[in-house]
Amino acid sequence: MANEPTSPSTTDGTAEQSRSRLTIPNASALRGIAAFAAGAPFTAFVAAVEVAIATAALGVPRSTAPVAVGLVAFAVYAADHVADAEGDMGSTPARARIALRYGDQLMTAAAVSYGAAVALAVVAGPSALALVLVPGAVWIGYASDWLPTVGDLAAPLAAVSVPRLKDVFLLNSAAVALAWAVAVVAAPLAFGVVAVDAVGTPTVALLFAYVALRSFVDVEVPNVRDVAADAARGVSTLPVAYGVGGTRRVLLGVDALAAGLLAVVAATGAAPRPVLVALAAGLAFSVAVTALADRLGGAALGVAPDCSYLVAGAVLLALGW
Amino acid sequence: MAALSPLSVALLVAVTVGLAAAILAWRERPEPGATWLAVLLTGQVWWATFLVFELEAATLPAKALWYDVQWVGVVAIPVGWLFFALEYTGRDRYVTPFSIALVSIVPVATVAVAAAGDPGNLLAVDRVVRETAVGTFLDVAPGPLYYIIAGYTYLLGAVGSIPLLQLIRDDARPFRGQSAALLVGTAAPWGGSVAYLTGAIPIPGLDPTPLVFAVSGVAYLFALSRFRLLTLAPAPRRRARQLVFEQLHDPVFVVGTEGLLVDLNESAAETFGIDRRDAIGEAAAAVVPKYDSVRELAAGEADKPRAIPIVGRDGQRPYEATVREVVDDHGRTTARVIAFHDVGAYLGQQQRLNVLNRVFRHDVRTETNLIRGYAEQLRADPTDERALSVIEESAGRMLELSERTRTAGELFDPTEEAKSAPLPEVVDEVVAGVRGVDPDARIEVGSVPDVRVPVVLRVVLENLCSNAVRHNDAESPWVRIDAAVADGWVEVTVADDGPGIDPAEYDVLDRGTETPLRHGSGIGLWIVKWGVDHLGGRISFDERDPRGTAVTVCVPVDRSESTGGGRGASTLGDGSVDDEWGTLGSLPNAGR
Repeated sequence: MANEPTSPSTTDGTAEQSRSRLTIPNASALRGIAAFAAGAPFTAFVAAVEVAIATAALGVPRSTAPVAVGLVAFAVYAADHVADAEGDMGSTPARARIALRYGDQLMTAAAVSYGAAVALAVVAGPSALALVLVPGAVWIGYASDWLPTVGDLAAPLAAVSVPRLKDVFLLNSAAVALAWAVAVVAAPLAFGVVAVDAVGTPTVALLFAYVALRSFVDVEVPNVRDVAADAARGVSTLPVAYGVGGTRRVLLGVDALAAGLLAVVAATGAAPRPVLVALAAGLAFSVAVTALADRLGGAALGVAPDCSYLVAGAVLLALGW
Repeated sequence: MAALSPLSVALLVAVTVGLAAAILAWRERPEPGATWLAVLLTGQVWWATFLVFELEAATLPAKALWYDVQWVGVVAIPVGWLFFALEYTGRDRYVTPFSIALVSIVPVATVAVAAAGDPGNLLAVDRVVRETAVGTFLDVAPGPLYYIIAGYTYLLGAVGSIPLLQLIRDDARPFRGQSAALLVGTAAPWGGSVAYLTGAIPIPGLDPTPLVFAVSGVAYLFALSRFRLLTLAPAPRRRARQLVFEQLHDPVFVVGTEGLLVDLNESAAETFGIDRRDAIGEAAAAVVPKYDSVRELAAGEADKPRAIPIVGRDGQRPYEATVREVVDDHGRTTARVIAFHDVGAYLGQQQRLNVLNRVFRHDVRTETNLIRGYAEQLRADPTDERALSVIEESAGRMLELSERTRTAGELFDPTEEAKSAPLPEVVDEVVAGVRGVDPDARIEVGSVPDVRVPVVLRVVLENLCSNAVRHNDAESPWVRIDAAVADGWVEVTVADDGPGIDPAEYDVLDRGTETPLRHGSGIGLWIVKWGVDHLGGRISFDERDPRGTAVTVCVPVDRSESTGGGRGASTLGDGSVDDEWGTLGSLPNAGR
């Protein structure tokens, strides 16, 4: 028969064209959960591991810092994924779909998560509280339209609009990297109520610089995957500006700087040896990821850079720290 | 890290839930009330946070410091609450920089006193550290400023609750739910505060207010998520209702019980050329058009709703007036709302349907019967020339009827843009058309002022002139066209020396409806009437001496291309014309 299209094409009696495309079939439900887990929860876990490594590197008493920083990271990244869900459709479609579908629930979870982090910080004291409020403030500048509003209020005659921090070349990644470095290095000190002097300013400074450099790499590597989406949105990133090859060279250069810092730490004995070994293992992993940046798949590229901390953490555990 | 006191644990729950709610509220900006709810919740979180610091601090000076810092949050709460309630319920016109500054004077002063180290013991007369089972906190003997800010907080809280309480009485379930959740969230800390001030708390010196903020946080979270607190805010409803009144196409007047005009909408001001500022407070009889007829309607004296002709911006239009009483909660009438609905288009359609129905039912049928009869006669005698000519004439009349029906249809084509042309040009075209109908006709044209008129007037005059020539039994029919302009109206008279129009014909036009027994012949006069009605004008018929008819058509001068409006209104036809309504003067009340 010529007129076949209305007859059911499957045993459930639905024709292909009449089946809903919005429903995520069971088979991909797991993939959806995996995509969600690879987003904010994974970042939160990595953050907690980073803070734990930093706690070991600084040699300060254990505290609730890893949990608090993990909660903050979850809040900031979940909120960001919801805010940019439509723009992320091109680069991370599975995660973006979840963010669109469960936007309100994710925002509620993010808000409660941040509230819990603040509560933990309140317990730890005023300096921990001040620290936990920093990423929140950066997030307001990073993702909201606050800065342009403030700019418009401040300079209505100049007709100069302050762009969103997220749209400014390099400053965007630098701001994120600095926020990470502040959180990771300062959290163990603030939550452990340990003064910088007690640890030694050089140790703190070296670790801070190291984490900032490494975080910069971790932020820029996934931009290789997002290059098309970012270019379309007018967000200027390293891959958008210099191409994949250029980006790889810049990032390898940054990793080399981080390796130099590790060498300085080793030479000065500013950190315990097992921690140095663990950080070096993580750095080696990161260099490998950067070298393979254009050959890794989209999903892998999203999580691979952060895995360097998991490698470092695993090494630290293996060394019996 | 020392173990936390039970009080601190409870406060941390309050911090977590309160901050989460604050973030969710902040995210809803610029929804009405979102910012102020975030301020309120942040105030709560601030208070609870620094109370934990106070509880966990080891020394009296440290506890005193954190106690003073708490004031920032304490005073932010009532300010946030008041402005949230106002904005959320659509009373945002009270939320101005000035009102915010005014309301913030006492809170800012309180914080300043606390920051200055409480000079003169204004906030606290005495502070002692009290160790209890739930925690070690500062027991404060309140100073005078403490009571002032407490009273001020209750005042703002009460004022803010009024509009929200009104929502509880609302018909819409989501708004009742929202309001109830908000009141629970706000009543809980007050309950705690009252319990503290009245000494009902078993632990002396413990202010449980920040503790019960956990309850508030849960209530607000619930309101935000379950009742869509900020995404489904009732704020636009007040403005929407106002907007409907203002933007309604129909002119609406609100008349108080004393017969004075209380309000009128934009359409009323525009349609009837009324200055709103001057009109409000005036006697309704002096402002509302045809007020006496409308009052009869209200009193139930009129038999049934009828169209009242009123001259406004668009000339004379028929309006149907409805009067509704505004009744307050006690069943008292406080005002009457008079709405005018322009029924011109509706009446025109009804008439056209009526007339076209008659044309088919009567005119076409008559002609068809005639043709059939004479056709049979022709069959019997194919040489019957008379039968042939009767058939030809009859077919010609049907064709003409069909043409005119088309003209009538085109007259009201809604897609046609209203065009205008100079009157002399229109008259010239009409004269040329009539010469085509009857080359022997003597056509005189009197003085024709050079004003612009809507082109529909050409159709009206064409029908009048061609009727005058066609239905004239004289050898060479005489027709004269005169025109005059006065008060924004143009009056065109078409006079002829024919046998005159049967009074029954224009009587039907005047009544606006036909019946099987009382109807006009043809459709020409109806086209004239519809055209004039369409233009917001009026038509009148006069008999001439010794014979003939003078038909006067009076329509507004087209000013769309010159002055661009400014026409006023006047009542028509009953002699009680009021010129103060504007520049479109009274309609010249010619003859019959």
